[in-house]
Amino acid sequence: MRRRGWPAGLVAGALVLAAGCSSSAATTAHASGPKVTVKVATVTGVGQVLVTSKGYALYMFQPDNQRSVTCTGACAGTWPPVKVPDGGSFAAGAGVKDALLGTDPDPEGGTVLTYGGWPLYTYTGDTAPGQATGQSIDLNGGEWYVLRPDGKPLIPTP
Amino acid sequence: MTTNHESQKAPAPLAPPTSQQSPPPHQTRRSLLFGAGGLAVGAAAVGASWAATSSPAAASDGIPPDDDLMREHGVLKRVLLCYRAMTTQAASGRPLAAAHVQDSALIIHDFIEGFHEGLEEGYVFPRLRSGPLASTVTTLLTQHARGRVITQYLLAQTRSGSTLNAVTSTKLSGAMQAFVRMYEPHEAREDTVIFPAFRKIVPAQEFADLGQHFADLEHQQFGGDEFTAMVARITSIEQALGIYDLNQFTPQIAPYLT
Repeated sequence: MRRRGWPAGLVAGALVLAAGCSSSAATTAHASGPKVTVKVATVTGVGQVLVTSKGYALYMFQPDNQRSVTCTGACAGTWPPVKVPDGGSFAAGAGVKDALLGTDPDPEGGTVLTYGGWPLYTYTGDTAPGQATGQSIDLNGGEWYVLRPDGKPLIPTP
Repeated sequence: MTTNHESQKAPAPLAPPTSQQSPPPHQTRRSLLFGAGGLAVGAAAVGASWAATSSPAAASDGIPPDDDLMREHGVLKRVLLCYRAMTTQAASGRPLAAAHVQDSALIIHDFIEGFHEGLEEGYVFPRLRSGPLASTVTTLLTQHARGRVITQYLLAQTRSGSTLNAVTSTKLSGAMQAFVRMYEPHEAREDTVIFPAFRKIVPAQEFADLGQHFADLEHQQFGGDEFTAMVARITSIEQALGIYDLNQFTPQIAPYLT
């Protein structure tokens, strides 16, 4: 049988640290514990889009098809999914529609935050808040787009 | 300046994708290169007990993760040589073949950007983000992102699959030059600074486990020995560009004999 896990200590570290935790007051919490907050911010080149509590752009991956997390393995190294820590919660910040928030199981373990059914990811190429350098990139088997507050991907018109 | 990316602070959990088929039981590049079992013994010696039983398909693997990444850098270097040959070709007024550019860029897109860099970003860089190499890591991440943009450009411009006109050849040549100029120092810095630092801070057991995990991920993503497949692809491009024969790069030494 193939082992599909990583030493427990590292997994635990990833779960805790991968999420953008926040204690923002202007949020609607869904559970108790550490909170992952999504908000809306203006990002250079793309306008008002979803971002983490620290201002990093959030992306959707077309192959996910608003249904499930398909970016795993090396893909998840480049596009870290936004994890909801075990026992944690998620919350809608200013401009975010609370009803569109949800979660999907990550095939690699844990839970990934979704918006409008899209699993949410950050991009390692965004090395500072306010960037969206992964917008419209075709990588790891599909295209990546930032998400608008209405839950739709920002797909440029040809 | 440190990278303050909140989702990059720890390696992602290592379970491979479940959406992929299980890899067929075949030889991996590691077993091909080193012989079955040879390095697995070494891995076990540093405590990689679970790695040895983790995957029948990769049971004879044991290449350390940094060696694995540097081997993949070899593929990148050969694409850079192709890019350089094509920029020389364009500079001499000979139009580029779209297929040569496209094929080279696809190797970068599929293997380097779509796999190799994901390993670096998911497992190597996060360990170095808070130390003295933090600013270097930030630069490397930025360069990965810029490189992907250039690759997208090269692929988009060569979709037609025909011989390119002089204007387009010049534009693509500029893009390839920029890519080469960035990636030569980039990979050299990773090989000589980043990977040694990574090896130094990761415990031996974990290091061996990670090498095994990289092998598993490669099988999961590509379903086979992708390294060998990539070497074959780049060889074909080199042959088409007339740069495959190593002899042509050997200098005459008569002028230097004293």
